[in-house]
Amino acid sequence: MTPPVRTPPADFVGLSDLSLREVAHAGTGPGRSMMRRACAAVAILATLAALATAARHNVVRASGAPLLVQFFDAAVHPRVDGQFLALTAKAAVTTLAYAVLGTGLSLVIGAAGGVLTSETWWRQGARRRHLRIALGNWAVSRAVLAIPRGIHELVWGLFLLSVLGIQPLVPVLAIGIAYGAVTAKVFSELLDETAREPYTALVALGVGRLAAILYGLLPPALPDLMSYAFYRFECAIRSATVLGLVGAGGLGFQLSLSFQALRYNEIWTLLYALIALCAAADFWSAAVRRRRAVPLRAHVRPGHDRVRTGSILAVLALIPFSVWWVGLSPAAVWAAQTWDLVGRLFTQAWPPSLGGEGALGLLKLSAVTLAMSVLAIALAFIGGIFLAFPAASRARQDAQGRLGKARRAKRMLVYLTARALLIVLRAIPPPVWALVFLLVLYPGVLPAALALGVYTLGVLGRLMAEAAENLDQRPLRALRAHGASRQQVFWYGVIPSAAPRFIAFSLYRWEVTIRETVVVGVVGAGGLGLLLNQQLASFAYGGALATLLAVIVLTLLVDFTSAVARRALH
Amino acid sequence: MPTAPVFELEGAGIRYGTVRALRGVDLNVGRGERVAVIGPSGAGKSSLIGLLNGTLVPTQGRVRVLGRDLAASSPRELRDVQRRLGTIHQQFDLVNELRAVHNVNAGRIGSWPLWRAVLSLLLPREVASARLAMERVGIGGKLYARTEDLSGGEQQRVAIARVLVQQPAAILADEPVASLDPARGREIVNLLHDITAETGATLLASLHDVQLAMGRFERVIGLRDGLVAFDAAPARLAQGEIDTLYALEHK
Repeated sequence: MTPPVRTPPADFVGLSDLSLREVAHAGTGPGRSMMRRACAAVAILATLAALATAARHNVVRASGAPLLVQFFDAAVHPRVDGQFLALTAKAAVTTLAYAVLGTGLSLVIGAAGGVLTSETWWRQGARRRHLRIALGNWAVSRAVLAIPRGIHELVWGLFLLSVLGIQPLVPVLAIGIAYGAVTAKVFSELLDETAREPYTALVALGVGRLAAILYGLLPPALPDLMSYAFYRFECAIRSATVLGLVGAGGLGFQLSLSFQALRYNEIWTLLYALIALCAAADFWSAAVRRRRAVPLRAHVRPGHDRVRTGSILAVLALIPFSVWWVGLSPAAVWAAQTWDLVGRLFTQAWPPSLGGEGALGLLKLSAVTLAMSVLAIALAFIGGIFLAFPAASRARQDAQGRLGKARRAKRMLVYLTARALLIVLRAIPPPVWALVFLLVLYPGVLPAALALGVYTLGVLGRLMAEAAENLDQRPLRALRAHGASRQQVFWYGVIPSAAPRFIAFSLYRWEVTIRETVVVGVVGAGGLGLLLNQQLASFAYGGALATLLAVIVLTLLVDFTSAVARRALH
Repeated sequence: MPTAPVFELEGAGIRYGTVRALRGVDLNVGRGERVAVIGPSGAGKSSLIGLLNGTLVPTQGRVRVLGRDLAASSPRELRDVQRRLGTIHQQFDLVNELRAVHNVNAGRIGSWPLWRAVLSLLLPREVASARLAMERVGIGGKLYARTEDLSGGEQQRVAIARVLVQQPAAILADEPVASLDPARGREIVNLLHDITAETGATLLASLHDVQLAMGRFERVIGLRDGLVAFDAAPARLAQGEIDTLYALEHK
């Protein structure tokens, strides 16, 4: 038997969960030029409309300019006295601990939910007679998980804060629930994509479903599951920081304190710590996930992979440490008072109320939120095109080219600068960017779009750079052989073959960005997120529910539009 | 001497949508019998084996295995029957990523509590009997090898070892040698023979190789278009009957 052909390692970086296969195939279908032109026209019009929305009122806070100068001036002299460094280190460990515990919880939820929402589980559970019922149950189980998935972890955090008060459980639960639901979906799809024959064979031997999944499905799916878990851990550090901003502690909390006091030198110390933490997680996760890509050599068996085994052991050691460090106690989860509060919260929230501004106000804010996401993704897309190629590894091309030492060194410098820039951009979460932009801009579409845009540029730029690295080199070589100049090769060879992927990635990131608008709203940039935060802070739960529903509808709308556009571009 | 039937089919048929894979098969297989099922592709051989091991439910007729009507039994009863049946597949259906010992033990985890199955993945349980089974199929030294590192013939031996630790009442083999070269295929069939002879288990194997079926089995069943074309000892079969079985068109 030839072993099943392994698909190349799915790189989960920044994709709004799954449908990776679609990305891989993007742009391979027959050209549908009409449809493409229509999509491009819509995209440009939407961007212009969003720009118009952003520029409707006075946006620049001129008085803030000196603040901005001071802010960037502080970058070169952060506060580095022993006391503050100790505080920063402690805060960084706290953020790390929340990320570890949140990811851990999300994996538990994801593993259980993944099995329970997999088609395999329901299909094999019932024999042919009850198949229809079983598939019905399967659909229901998926729908149930779609609800927590549609709600951003920050919204979970705000909700949990009003129920539990400030305590370590809040960020852990918020990350655990929101990520758990996404993880469950990804796990179930990975399980369903795994070859089912070994599993079926075990069921035919009279093995129970759980044990059969454990022996038959899990081992083949494990590398992908692990890779995804580490990707999620990387994201969790950013989420933990953002949750810190609303009071959960750690780097985010310290950042919010320093922003309030306008102590820029402290902000920079904290930002450097955050960048270091994110870059470390970034590298670690990439190192673990790259193991998946290395073809199996006879003498290096995955079971003996030191990086992987070491990483798993490190994470296992981090869990008890994190519990001790943050002083996690799950007691509040089953305290009668908690559930009493949840019950009261729901009775207050139902029925949802439209508040003072009515349906029109909500609609207007939804349009503003949509404009933020469109502008942000346009910014990231354009920036990504400029950064992706310098940030793509040039090793291969340089080996072929006959470049002088000086040229090669210059290229290396450009490459490293572009990579470092991308890392910094994505290490700093959107609300922190928003706080920076709010120094010189009035709350509204523009600061939110800029904040989301620069952060998304960090993520999208890396994805685009990877796509640029993986371009098929043969057509480019052919062009060069025809005597085309470097510019010509770029415009005739590189751009046409990279564009479909770039667009597909951008559409995916747009789906993520519309979810993140809530996050920048919370720090005051505007849109539905700002409204939601105000409503929760003033205990207007009926209004908050209406806003939340608007967010969910908007999210679904963007998902749908993006899916339609991707299909059209196939 | 009348033997208690292991498999009893009464007018059993199965239909996938509009395709009728089996169209009313009557069959009795007794304890210790060794039966080969032959027939062209699409004749219903795999469906027959699926009916016998309980993974498929008949859309008509009845299937009784070890005296129990599978369609009418509860999931628990079905599993109890399935634990006493060992099935071997053409594609081996082993878990490539696991070590051989886990694949062998998989034959038994049906009768283990879940915690034991989980623990065994970290610290293999019942290694002694797994090793015995691997030695019996001739690859005792490969107990801790990763399954995907084994050759095709070795993998099929692991699959047989998995069946062995079940101590089954019957072994079902769905094209067990179709992925192997002729010499290795013969070895595997011989091994299945020896094992069933030692344990007194029933053997029912579907085969592509007519020579192998005629040479090594006491009873040969010919399937065509979902019906039993013949069911006899090889000595009583005329070459014409076999040619008709594989003919491209029905005359």
